[in-house]
Amino acid sequence: MSKPRAEAEHDSDEHETEKMSRILGSSVAELAESSEHADYAKYGYHHVYLANIESIPEITRHFFDAGYLLEMVTCQDRRDDAGTMRLVYTFNHLAHLDRHLVHADVAADAEAPSITSLYQAADWFEREVYDMYGVRFSGHPNLKRILLPEDADFYALRKDFGRIEDAPQES
Amino acid sequence: MSTEPNPEPNPAMAPDGDPEVYYLNMGPQHPSMHGVLRLVLKMRGEEILEAEPVIGYAHRAHEKMAENRNYLMFLPNTSRVDYLSGMIYNIAYCQAIEKIMDIEVPERAEYIRIIACELNRISSHLLWFGTFLLDLGGITPFLYCFDDREEILDILDSVTGSRLTYSYGRFGGVTMDVDSAFVARTRAFLARMRDERLPKYRRLVGDNVIFRERCEGVGVITRDVAFRYGVTGPCLRSTGVAYDVRRAEPYSIYDRFEFKIPTRVEGDTMARFDLRIEEMEESCKIVEQAVDGLPEGPIMPAKPKKRYRPPAGEYYFAVESARGHFGTYIISDGTDVPVKLKLRTPSFSNLSSMPDVLRNTMVADTIAIVGSIDVVMPEIDR
Repeated sequence: MSKPRAEAEHDSDEHETEKMSRILGSSVAELAESSEHADYAKYGYHHVYLANIESIPEITRHFFDAGYLLEMVTCQDRRDDAGTMRLVYTFNHLAHLDRHLVHADVAADAEAPSITSLYQAADWFEREVYDMYGVRFSGHPNLKRILLPEDADFYALRKDFGRIEDAPQES
Repeated sequence: MSTEPNPEPNPAMAPDGDPEVYYLNMGPQHPSMHGVLRLVLKMRGEEILEAEPVIGYAHRAHEKMAENRNYLMFLPNTSRVDYLSGMIYNIAYCQAIEKIMDIEVPERAEYIRIIACELNRISSHLLWFGTFLLDLGGITPFLYCFDDREEILDILDSVTGSRLTYSYGRFGGVTMDVDSAFVARTRAFLARMRDERLPKYRRLVGDNVIFRERCEGVGVITRDVAFRYGVTGPCLRSTGVAYDVRRAEPYSIYDRFEFKIPTRVEGDTMARFDLRIEEMEESCKIVEQAVDGLPEGPIMPAKPKKRYRPPAGEYYFAVESARGHFGTYIISDGTDVPVKLKLRTPSFSNLSSMPDVLRNTMVADTIAIVGSIDVVMPEIDR
């Protein structure tokens, strides 16, 4: 009854993809303000960049065209040290391991450009960043809270939110 | 603290003047919905025009909790992120800290971890199998699956003391050693699973005409959709991409074992079913090799540290959970409390693809499609 279904095809030539990744790394580095190699064995990623927030869509386009997966978008509250929020994007290629971490600083009340037009994965990731850190994304089709209640009046992962025990209690 | 008032509703869900268009709300307390998932469906007749998953009902602020306690104290949280494959998440967190802090894990502990994680993967797939068939109206397979799963829970319970929310890993090893009874029971389970149960599941369910009719060609995830939404795990492999973190980015001692990464190209519900059955077989293979090769020796480093202060910096560590790519992203400032700990959970991205996958399908297929994705809501909501 059950007939064998087709087998998956093999991935493209590994040598080619590695060459592609070097070209990609240098073109992203040109767009970024700074770039560094990281020791994968220790940090778990190969490259880290600090980019201007305005150049994020262009950088994303490079990764998208090279077939990189957007693994996550998250944020770090650095207002105490640097006065800004820091967005963190990680890209990785599924056929050959090559993880890039892209940082972009943005003021807490400023808008960051959304990358949902390329990666729909960013839709929920950006909503979560907005939900937890209050960073807004311009061009997002449906920017609203995702994990916290819709009528919440706080951003829970901001450092000045305090500890969980300090959360507003329902009376 | 101030924010803007209620956000704008989703424009894709707005009524478009068609009098035939109506809305159907599924969940979060619908009996055949998985956990507390809510789906808002915009429909015409029985056809779904747009779907919007609504999540957050099981949000427990794990990432916030991580910033409020030291690294060791976060251990019990990890298995509660995904309570169906909690062992994998618990061990993954330990492995992340070990990698950052250069903690050496004794050989025996590595083997025990592999056995425990792969048994946990099988039990997670078994639960999916049982509840998925239940969703489709088949009661009998559920009873068989839970019989098998119960055996795994008993085996793991005997060494960890927990049935689901294991806190078995420690930085550098595991809490309790396994004994010969554990090994004998694991071997007996593997034999029954491979010789008797899995072939039976293929015959009883996989070859069932009604089941195949309901699954073949239903809920197709294309390779493009999987790529754009960051879908991983069996859902990605059902589109022909042989991506498995255990192979792509080997961690622990997975590079010592022989196992296949099964793939399909159809991307439909049937492909995801076939894949998970095959993955259980592969996990059985890994467990068997690990049990055969289980060395003697300690299960913890001779001198475990008392305090854990990872050097300042940021770290990313990925493992393959039962549902896909699970990433732990840690920012440390050199103290024993993380500045930030982000859990990149696979179901979050897998579920986010649902608006694309459900568009233009029939409402009767919704349960089959959403069930076949294998979402665990607490893992999405964290």
